[in-house]
Amino acid sequence: MTHHPAIIGYYTTRFGELWDKSLFQLVREAVDGVMASCRTETESMDAIFFSNMMGGILENNLHAGAKLAEVLGVNLPIFRTEAACASGGMAVHLATQYVTARPGTTVLVVGAEKMTDYAPEETASALMSAASGEEQSAGLTFPGLYAMLANVYLETYGYARDCLAPVPHKNHFHGSLNEQAHFRKQISIREILASPPVASPLTLLDCSPISDGASAIIVSSNKSFIKKSAHAISILATEVATDTISLKGRGRLDELAATRIASEKAFGASGIKPRDINVAELHDCFSIAELLAMEDIGFWKKGTAGQRAKELSTMLGSGGTLTVNTSGGLKAAGHPVGATGIKQIGELFLQLTGQAGKRQVKKAAYGLAHNVGGSGGTAVVTILGQR
Amino acid sequence: MLSPVKLWRRQKEIRSILGKKGKVVTATTVFVPTPEFKKYAPYTVVLVDFGHGIKAFGQLADTHDDCRTGTRVVAVLRKTKEVMQEDVIAYGIKFRIIP
Repeated sequence: MTHHPAIIGYYTTRFGELWDKSLFQLVREAVDGVMASCRTETESMDAIFFSNMMGGILENNLHAGAKLAEVLGVNLPIFRTEAACASGGMAVHLATQYVTARPGTTVLVVGAEKMTDYAPEETASALMSAASGEEQSAGLTFPGLYAMLANVYLETYGYARDCLAPVPHKNHFHGSLNEQAHFRKQISIREILASPPVASPLTLLDCSPISDGASAIIVSSNKSFIKKSAHAISILATEVATDTISLKGRGRLDELAATRIASEKAFGASGIKPRDINVAELHDCFSIAELLAMEDIGFWKKGTAGQRAKELSTMLGSGGTLTVNTSGGLKAAGHPVGATGIKQIGELFLQLTGQAGKRQVKKAAYGLAHNVGGSGGTAVVTILGQR
Repeated sequence: MLSPVKLWRRQKEIRSILGKKGKVVTATTVFVPTPEFKKYAPYTVVLVDFGHGIKAFGQLADTHDDCRTGTRVVAVLRKTKEVMQEDVIAYGIKFRIIP
């Protein structure tokens, strides 16, 4: 018997440059898809959580709850979450609190982003609204901020930039197995290192892309509904931590403290240990981010990720005990900001219920999702498992 | 459009940092900028520590060479970004390497 809320369905659109679809057409596809997978309908939901970052800036489209009510033809309570790139994880967190506070309820969580209607530099500029004013005024970009973190890491622990390349190499291999991924092409370490610089030491292939896409899950605390569903996985913990929006306010730049704090709380709340996790979806917006996450979550000791990443032990088929970013991560699956955190949790749902097809990790019992907003100002860590 | 009021409010902070000497904490050279910085790319942005808990971000003036941790710099006044023709000129902090 479970006392935990459960995820009972998942659907994601393809991620990529989806020029024939608008933001709300993507949302519609994701919602219809997840409802069909659970043989239910939107009218049976008790509430909707909608995750989207940039509709307000790029499309002059706020009050998204009412827009969504119109699109879906419902009068349900709809809550929008915005925590930059952690908007999706935040939506799942709040949905979990909602169904826990109201036992017997079932909610839809949908996240979407439309990013390719605009020139890349306009989208980059809109993304920078998630950084401090001073960072914006200095001409920094998100690749720039993570490049600064990368330089601190490389200098502190004595690595060269080639220690970053195994991350996109591995994640593109996983993406090649995911039909919904933005990029399905494998890339070699040499290609990554030789790609054009974006913000030193990061090159183009260290960076996640600008993508369109929408993902949806259904979260429930309704015991009979969970029992009746074909697949269910419990949400054992979901924790949020925050930090200064600007890098300049942080005590240390060789870690994201928000990740460390949210992880400690999530492991504490679930009684699960890092070594129990078999599959993880980590926030690899830039290659350095996955290395920092491996350490800050506690999978690897601080300062060792630069060396350990080269062993590719977290790649499918390596025989390791933990496989990371089977979806392809943000790098290969794509990064439609509002959808990302929901796709991460959806991917774990597929893995833990044996529905991941060609990229299925054998005997996956526990999964962890790590979703970061900005340069580490917000982190959401979610642990799923059968219980 | 750049808000003149916002710029005016920031001036106090800019004034308090001008002429200060500090050390680079971390740096990056940006090759792919946002639209208002296109003209300057590639450029190097540094995070500078002045001690006593005071830090600031800014671009290196006059160079875009990679710059290592510990490099000593001084804060100088420069035009910091491209603005619309009728906007207030955006003056702010950049950093010069102390030879």
